Amino acid sequence: MVRIRYLIIAVIVAGIGVLSSIFLFQSEERKVKKQFHLLSEWVSKDPGENAFTMAHKLQKIGTLFAENFELKTEVDSMSGSYTPAEISSYAARGRLMFSHLSLKFYDFDISFPQKGVANVTLTARLRGRATSGEDVDEIHEVQCILGKIEKRWLFSHVEIMEVLRK
Amino acid sequence: MEPTYHDGSVNCLWKLHYILSKPKRYDVVAVRFAGSRLMLLKRVVAVEGERVEFRSGKLFLDGKEIEEPYVRFSCSWDLPPRQVEKGCVYVVGDNRNMPIQEHHFGQTSIKRILGVPLW
Repeated sequence: MVRIRYLIIAVIVAGIGVLSSIFLFQSEERKVKKQFHLLSEWVSKDPGENAFTMAHKLQKIGTLFAENFELKTEVDSMSGSYTPAEISSYAARGRLMFSHLSLKFYDFDISFPQKGVANVTLTARLRGRATSGEDVDEIHEVQCILGKIEKRWLFSHVEIMEVLRK
Repeated sequence: MEPTYHDGSVNCLWKLHYILSKPKRYDVVAVRFAGSRLMLLKRVVAVEGERVEFRSGKLFLDGKEIEEPYVRFSCSWDLPPRQVEKGCVYVVGDNRNMPIQEHHFGQTSIKRILGVPLW
């Protein structure tokens, strides 16, 4: 009986140890991916989202981006430099145009060309329904650069790849 | 790519086709769109250095009208001339039965061409 108790305690301690090590020593790749998961969570919008949740998400979105974040797209008017506050503001306006919205990332290809810099190529899929009733389903290849600033990976450059140029 | 390839049909990709050669006009190719799984099936209509344009739905290369027997649905597309850059090809789908704004076509890098359909 005593032996079983010791065994259970040992398993619990080992489990706590494993979880702690996973939590404390997350690989850099995992930390970079986490930023994308957060971006996905905070950009996405459920139908009937309340004002408190919306305010919380919008406040958080800006924290994922570096100062002078650069966006490059085939739409020239959207390309340029943005501050985190501007990104939150544009995100707020963009989300208002949708009744629900989902941003998902796939096919991660992460490399670290130098210390504190992560290059990420991935597939982004934005799905949703505009308040006008129109369905949106956009898929793009995206190249991102994240920089490690004060121990946090922040988006510093995002380029939406133009596969076909008319 | 209707009517050459039907929506929902299954095909296989021959990736070794361009090991010793480059894509040429009229080839149907798979263009890598995003990731390693998402591809577009398109037809090469112009190669690097050629000037491509559409006038009332007709394809013109370097100012000369080009026959496109694979196109069954006529269109009225107009596209000003543009030169295909080095290392690129110009691809268009066979199904032109839609407004030009809604059709995915244009110049793409040869590096994005993964191969050709087997049949």
